[in-house]
Amino acid sequence: MAVASAHASILEPLVHVTAADPDLELAERFREGDRTAFDQLVRRHQRPIWRLVRRYVKRDADAADVTQLAFVRAFKALASFRGAASVRSWLYRIAINCALSWLRDHKREQSGQSEQFADDTASDAHPVHAQLIAGEDSAALRVAIAKLPPKQKLVLELRVFDDLSFKEVAELAECTENTAKVNFHYAVKKLRELLVGGSDAQR
Amino acid sequence: MRSADELLAAYVDGVSELTTEERRCVEQLLAQDPALRTDEAKTRAVIEQLRSLPPEGTEPDWGAMERAIRIEVGPEVPRSWWRTSWRWLVPAMGLALAAAVFALWIQDRAPETQPLAELPVDAGAPSAPIAPETEELAILSLWLDGTAVEIELDADELFDDEDAELGQEDGLTPGLLPVDNLAWIDDLDLDDVDVADAWLGRKKG
Repeated sequence: MAVASAHASILEPLVHVTAADPDLELAERFREGDRTAFDQLVRRHQRPIWRLVRRYVKRDADAADVTQLAFVRAFKALASFRGAASVRSWLYRIAINCALSWLRDHKREQSGQSEQFADDTASDAHPVHAQLIAGEDSAALRVAIAKLPPKQKLVLELRVFDDLSFKEVAELAECTENTAKVNFHYAVKKLRELLVGGSDAQR
Repeated sequence: MRSADELLAAYVDGVSELTTEERRCVEQLLAQDPALRTDEAKTRAVIEQLRSLPPEGTEPDWGAMERAIRIEVGPEVPRSWWRTSWRWLVPAMGLALAAAVFALWIQDRAPETQPLAELPVDAGAPSAPIAPETEELAILSLWLDGTAVEIELDADELFDDEDAELGQEDGLTPGLLPVDNLAWIDDLDLDDVDVADAWLGRKKG
């Protein structure tokens, strides 16, 4: 089909977990006692893990602390990692749990920051539109993402910002792969509505 | 499967992750519906916009973070029990336990050598003791719980005088029949009594 082939050609290849997954090899080496394998895992994943955590924890330094904590927990648990999921999604799960735990412990502090963020970004009746007009597309998009239902937001962020496969997204969102795909669709659709709605309102 | 239009974003962003059936449905729908093709273009634009978003915040010093993690976790690699030097202990203990259970089970299944004095005897037993076939062994037929049972016994041990006295003391014949109430003798038929008499005669003789 012409439409499909035209689109398929510009699609980015996706990363899939295979038998040759280097993370699995590193995990196996670590379980056999190779301490340096864990350092390599840290090097491979600290940046994406930090970005993931940073979406939950709004201060850079706190995000670094939570990332560090996530790796410490992963270090302690890696020996018993059974390989049911990919190492990457396993690490992400630990990081999300650490971030949520940190948010629970710092609820008051974080809500103050969120209010400040909301004041900064959503101060008028049509915040998304206003910021698009001002050329602040990124901020507008972030505001729109923040308005998504939690499940859709999680699926969208894991897919778009963390480049996870739908299978990995489903593992982390604790749903089926098909549900992850559908949630992703509705998240994008909702974003379109929020962004386009803002533009229309301005006209 | 969900309706095809609900998979549009997944089709746009990850066509290779759709099943053949999902992909076929979406493509069929796209071919038929111009509005959906417009949606597809808009969806693609939003996804591209999302993917081009710069990450939030200022990244930390990765080297420092790596060192901090290394210091925090220490040099020792934690090992699961099945990789420790004493890992043999767990299966060994399991085997020992299994052997103990098996031994108990075997012991439980072995035929018990109950003392004859404790064997229940039906007063209306149709059979009577039969004369020993050899000098060493006597075959005793008993009516036990409705079943005829033959027991091989050492005749000398069973009927010697000491046992007879002992039997009298505890109210039983030597390990076999109650002597307090001899009514059971009336239930024996004459042939049985004759056999018993003959055997006792030979024994005394």
